[in-house]
Amino acid sequence: MKCIITIELGTNAVRVFAFDLDGNIIGSLKGYYPTFHTQPDYSEQDPDQVFLTMLYVLKNLLNDTIYPKKYKVACICFSSSMHSVLAIDKHGNPLGYAITWSDNRAKKEAQLLKTSSAGKAVYKATGTPLHPMSPMMKIAWIKNNDKDRFKQTSKILSLKSYVIQQLTGEYMIDYSIASATGLLNIHKIKWEPDALKFAGINAHMLPDLVPVFTSAGKLKKAYQTSLGLSADTKIIVGSSDGCMAILGDGVKGEGMATITIEDSGAVRVMGNKVLQDDKQRFFNYLLTEDCYISGGPTNNGGIIFEWFTRQFGDFKNPFDIDHSMQELINDALKVPAGSDGLIFLPYLLGERAPIWNANARGIYFGLNIKHEKTHFVRATIEGILYEIYSIGKTLEEHRSIKSLSINGSFGSMPFCTQMLADIYNKPVRLRQNFHSVGFGSFLLSAIEMGIYKSLDEAVKTVVLPDQYLPDKQNHKEYMKYFKIFERLSVKLAPEFEEIANLQ
Amino acid sequence: MNQFVLKQGSSEELRFFPHILELGIVKNSSIRLNAFPKISSDGIKIFSVIEGKFEWWLGGGQYSLFPNDVALILPQQEFGSSNGVLEIGCFSWMHLNTRLKKDDGISMGSWSGLSENETHAISKILLANNSPILSKFNEGARILKLIQQELFNQELGYHARVNHLIDELFILIIRQLTKQSNPGRDFPKTFMNLEQALRQNLSHQWTVEEMAALVGLGTTLFNEKVKSYSGFSPINYLINIRISEAIKLLKRPDISLTDIALDTGFYSSQHFSTTFKKLTGYTPSEFRKNHLSKNK
Repeated sequence: MKCIITIELGTNAVRVFAFDLDGNIIGSLKGYYPTFHTQPDYSEQDPDQVFLTMLYVLKNLLNDTIYPKKYKVACICFSSSMHSVLAIDKHGNPLGYAITWSDNRAKKEAQLLKTSSAGKAVYKATGTPLHPMSPMMKIAWIKNNDKDRFKQTSKILSLKSYVIQQLTGEYMIDYSIASATGLLNIHKIKWEPDALKFAGINAHMLPDLVPVFTSAGKLKKAYQTSLGLSADTKIIVGSSDGCMAILGDGVKGEGMATITIEDSGAVRVMGNKVLQDDKQRFFNYLLTEDCYISGGPTNNGGIIFEWFTRQFGDFKNPFDIDHSMQELINDALKVPAGSDGLIFLPYLLGERAPIWNANARGIYFGLNIKHEKTHFVRATIEGILYEIYSIGKTLEEHRSIKSLSINGSFGSMPFCTQMLADIYNKPVRLRQNFHSVGFGSFLLSAIEMGIYKSLDEAVKTVVLPDQYLPDKQNHKEYMKYFKIFERLSVKLAPEFEEIANLQ
Repeated sequence: MNQFVLKQGSSEELRFFPHILELGIVKNSSIRLNAFPKISSDGIKIFSVIEGKFEWWLGGGQYSLFPNDVALILPQQEFGSSNGVLEIGCFSWMHLNTRLKKDDGISMGSWSGLSENETHAISKILLANNSPILSKFNEGARILKLIQQELFNQELGYHARVNHLIDELFILIIRQLTKQSNPGRDFPKTFMNLEQALRQNLSHQWTVEEMAALVGLGTTLFNEKVKSYSGFSPINYLINIRISEAIKLLKRPDISLTDIALDTGFYSSQHFSTTFKKLTGYTPSEFRKNHLSKNK
């Protein structure tokens, strides 16, 4: 029997799934790797540790589950977080650690381009918001601030490109990850000269630009032996986690959007046109030549409720945050929709879409003497989801959204899913304990293997059985407060800046 | 509660307890100048405040201590009042003749019932600890009082009980310290601290018990938490770090394979070689050869 392995190089961990050819999960394992914050604003990962962890987890899954069940691995498909940057020297050795998506050191570079006349054209060409997360900014930072490293740099990779190169020897970057570098012209699918110039590099310093279905060559002999894989195992470069998640949810075409809420969150739509926004609020990433994934990201997802739980939750068992969170949610259920007028702005980590204000900070607004702890709990969750709604609402200026799908551990908690349905006033679908990124990678592999003829045929097979219908009364209630939420989020900009400067 | 002080050598009560250098209670009813200067000495001292408020200098920092707070003073740590003043109030203390060396850790002596591994883990935590004050630690005063009673009453079995109580005091102090630094709320942060501790001392032969103690969990719960958070058992996670670091060292031609093996915590180059090959498909020397030939 044949099986498909998907490998997701995520923010904190690698997740490996094995699917049979019908898309059923045969097994899965994850492995954590650390993010180092050696300075404020720095987020780095050790590329060798990421590679090794991936290898370790893959090997364990193969030996413990796949081989005992007599499966043969037909192909391995990769996905990863976007925006990582790894400089390597002419021998292929990493120059320091990889800079991950959440690294903010390139603030100045982003500000510089954003306020220049060239900025608008670069955003228009590349579709990537001009933000420190963008690899273009990070490379410019290295050029400006780490001259030694820059001088030795022979190539700039993404973490995924590095991992694949270790396995097969090929330097490749897929359209999706490339379109999130800020360096790719997403209309022409060619590296954008002005962006390259700003970053200070040439196109030949980047890996080969390839479609997401591309085979990345043969596994090196040593890995064939140590992993027990045959030489004909197909290695597919794959896409980014964001693009895979929307694919895995079967969201393609008019009227559909998908919401992902893990630690951070995003609202995304898929279509065959770029979303051109004058205020530069959205990203536009490529899945294939004529398939764009557009949307807006938020910094403040489930991580904010985790923060709240750590401060105010009742930890009966050490480190059992899931239990503490559930207890708080039970409290929140006792409070009516709208939290009796307590509003929370969740910007503890600054914010990206839609306000794009790194100085934004958290607020509880409207507090009166009758509010109790339970109101804070509910208001906190409502605030996080109002923010998700405000992204969707700005997207709706460009696309109509009729139905939603949800993935990610925070968003798919029943309490949150129902609240999202109510706030959006739209039906919401999901499949519990479903791993959209892994399933997206499965679909991509299945298309490449000829199991499905096209992307359209593949997404049609996705069934998300659980449906949450909106409560009209709650929706009305939420909208009264959302109006205030929305105004506060922009009105307070000067105060946000002042307080951020003091902190 | 009356003042008293027992001193090794002069107090008959301590005859069978050579490891107790001093034990006593001070009750101070008026401010005394130059009565409590900063000094450092051998052995471990434990001070437990019973009444009043004391401003003490300890291990390079100034602390305010209130009733039920306990100060833990390690060998050669400077301890006392910055201006030498002894404030109004009451405290009990014990001074133990335990040695603490940077390399071997604490040696308790034959009186202690703690196993060698436990003693080692305790000394690791004491040395790594940077907050020498245990706040609201009622157990400290309670146990010191029990030790005093045993020494004064000398009932049958007091010899064993005094030593048990000292062991118990250490055990409770260690548990409190790890709880203080790991309030049991933020596993990602706690795990990161553990990772740092492992990396700082990668050549050490870490045991699961030691790792669990650093985090303030029992080994069963520790195993479970690490596995569900990282996907690896604690020892496999450690191996993962070891190999990641070894890869970096292998790229430098000036370090021998044996040195790399020992630096990264493998007990022999053979052990290093098999583990490395199992994981990466290459032996360390093949990996190095591939790498160096690429660099020519």
